[in-house]
Amino acid sequence: MTQRIPWARISWEHWVAGCGLALLLVGTYVGLFVAPPERHMGDVQRIMYVHVPSAWNGLLCYTGAFVAAIVVLWTSRPKWDAAMVGMIEAGVVLNALLLVQGSIWARATWGVWWDWDVRLTTSLVMLLLFAGVMALRSFVEDAERRTTWTAIATIVSFVDVPLVYFCVRWWRSLHQVQSTPETVDRAMVLPLRMNAVAFLLLAIWFAARRARLELALRRRDEVAVPERRELVHA
Amino acid sequence: MTPTTTPALEARDVARRFGRHWALAHLDLTVEPGESVLLAGPNGSGKTTFLRLAAGLYRATHGTLSVFGRDVRAERQTSRRFLSLVSHDAYLYPRLTALETVRVWARLLGRPARDADLMPLLDEVDLTAAGGQPVGGFSAGMRKRLTLLRSRLEGSRLVLLDEPFAALDVPGQKLVERWIAGFRRDGVAVVLASHSLEQAARLCDRAVVLHHGQKAWQGAAADVVSRFEEVTCRN
Amino acid sequence: MSQLTAPTLTSPTGAEAGFLRVLAGQTVTVLRKDLLLEWRGRSRLLSVMLFGLVTLALFSFAVGPDSANLRAGASGFLVLALLLSSTLALSESFRLEHEQRAIEGLLLLPVDPTAIYYGKALGNTIFLCLLAPVLMWVAMVLYAVEFGALTLVKMLGLWVLAAAGLSAPGTLYAAMTSRLRSQDVLLPLLLFPLVIPVLLGSVKAMDLVMTGDPMSQLRSWSLMLLAFDVIYWSLCGVLFQHAIEDP
Repeated sequence: MTQRIPWARISWEHWVAGCGLALLLVGTYVGLFVAPPERHMGDVQRIMYVHVPSAWNGLLCYTGAFVAAIVVLWTSRPKWDAAMVGMIEAGVVLNALLLVQGSIWARATWGVWWDWDVRLTTSLVMLLLFAGVMALRSFVEDAERRTTWTAIATIVSFVDVPLVYFCVRWWRSLHQVQSTPETVDRAMVLPLRMNAVAFLLLAIWFAARRARLELALRRRDEVAVPERRELVHA
Repeated sequence: MTPTTTPALEARDVARRFGRHWALAHLDLTVEPGESVLLAGPNGSGKTTFLRLAAGLYRATHGTLSVFGRDVRAERQTSRRFLSLVSHDAYLYPRLTALETVRVWARLLGRPARDADLMPLLDEVDLTAAGGQPVGGFSAGMRKRLTLLRSRLEGSRLVLLDEPFAALDVPGQKLVERWIAGFRRDGVAVVLASHSLEQAARLCDRAVVLHHGQKAWQGAAADVVSRFEEVTCRN
Repeated sequence: MSQLTAPTLTSPTGAEAGFLRVLAGQTVTVLRKDLLLEWRGRSRLLSVMLFGLVTLALFSFAVGPDSANLRAGASGFLVLALLLSSTLALSESFRLEHEQRAIEGLLLLPVDPTAIYYGKALGNTIFLCLLAPVLMWVAMVLYAVEFGALTLVKMLGLWVLAAAGLSAPGTLYAAMTSRLRSQDVLLPLLLFPLVIPVLLGSVKAMDLVMTGDPMSQLRSWSLMLLAFDVIYWSLCGVLFQHAIEDP
């Protein structure tokens, strides 16, 4: 007797990931084979179809983690802590991808693996900031303290991001070389948007899975309150 | 609720978990203003945890705790003004002298802090001669005296004492007894956690025995010595 | 027994002062206490100064004896020496608090956690500023840079802004990491990426002061440092109570 797939029991985030994968396949196909090459950079420019979505969604994840961190300090609810952790880790993964992609682009464009480009440098600092938050979390054993301190470090790190960006921009102002085209050709907009949404859906899946894991770990450590004992008569 | 009927300390169904271990569960305790309560129990029964919860140093996992009607966590800046915690920790900076330590406390409490105001306080605890010495070199008895002085300086209406007789010689223990008697005379509520049952029972009106984090018995302080073994063995 | 006035239930402290005045008073008391403790342990200040000097010397060895290179990197070496010394100062300021749980005693008095934060952050800033005269003088000698009186004043002003920028988040992070096992790794790991704007801003500004500022950029960099200080002194003051109280 064949077993039926329990569609109703599949978590919502798997459906989201499915849509995201499908969209990614289509968007990547269009970006690689349908969209025209860029006028100056040629086919190298096609890395933009993963690079820009990584950047947008990475920043979006960090922003979500920042909002969750504020709510955590307000309510201390485990669900918000789990959401915060999920979004931080999704952001860190996208951030790391971003740096690898940026490095490849720099190599292809300027022949070097690293250039102190404003956005690339800011991405590096962001990765160090939020990897530090994850490191802090891993050293705190008490669950509630871990929640509070992760939230504090997330807020402090997120506030730093625009400061770092502007600072590095001034620092580089005499050496600024435009690394990405400011305006995107209309034919490139479609695959870019498709991949941006695809990355968003996959990031949501990742964050949700991580949040579930965090909640499960927390529940594993929980023990029910013991039964109330009878008082010995006075 | 008028100030005269607000309990000094009210704990309702208080529970606290550390990791997978419940240090306290289902604890109900009310201490009226001016009342003194002995908290007894074997090691690990939750006495220290309860006192630290009452001081707002931990958050209760379940239940509510209030001091003179103020929630000890939500309104901890206010509730802490009403209470003092005299515990194992001396809360001292070893490099400061006794006089400097008391001066810091007085300034932080908004009290007069000139030498002329502080020396009589050191006199009360026989620390005048040692006033200029760094507290890092103090004996256990001297540190305890300084901590008692701190609770007097705070002028609290509720004093929580965690094993105040521990590590003290006989004169030191007598001093603590005199201070607790003085708190009672001044109408200050006292919650005293101690293993020295006979000594502590003489100083208290009522006793509560904790066992495995729960209230096992409550009654007159005079009866706790005779009932303690029976209560803790039964559970 | 003394006749100290017990707090009444309606006016708990017995002192009729506005909230801000009480906060300011407690901040000053915490600061004075910290400065007194630092004075009592002043051999530590000397050790941190020596550490800064060692750092400056190490940079010289790493870069090589070419005086042009050294002069060009002087501002960077100075700020890095300050940054590396800061972690020693910050972690020590909380070691004293945890020795006999003194900070818990402060919270129980009660002292507003915000007052504890600002008192300690000011103390840390002052400590770092005390390093300035020695490190700057040694840098002048090692890297063959010369400061006129006005240059020196500007450099000291920038040093104060940089020290304040390190102390603000540093005090918050030190409060947390001082209670963990690997505090010697965690504090720099968390702090150093965060204070990159301070590093860039102060290095750039000091460089402009030492070598000339034809495009009048010094004001922008100084304002950037000031903005960082204002943002983090405010933010960390608000967050500190969550860092210091047990959950």
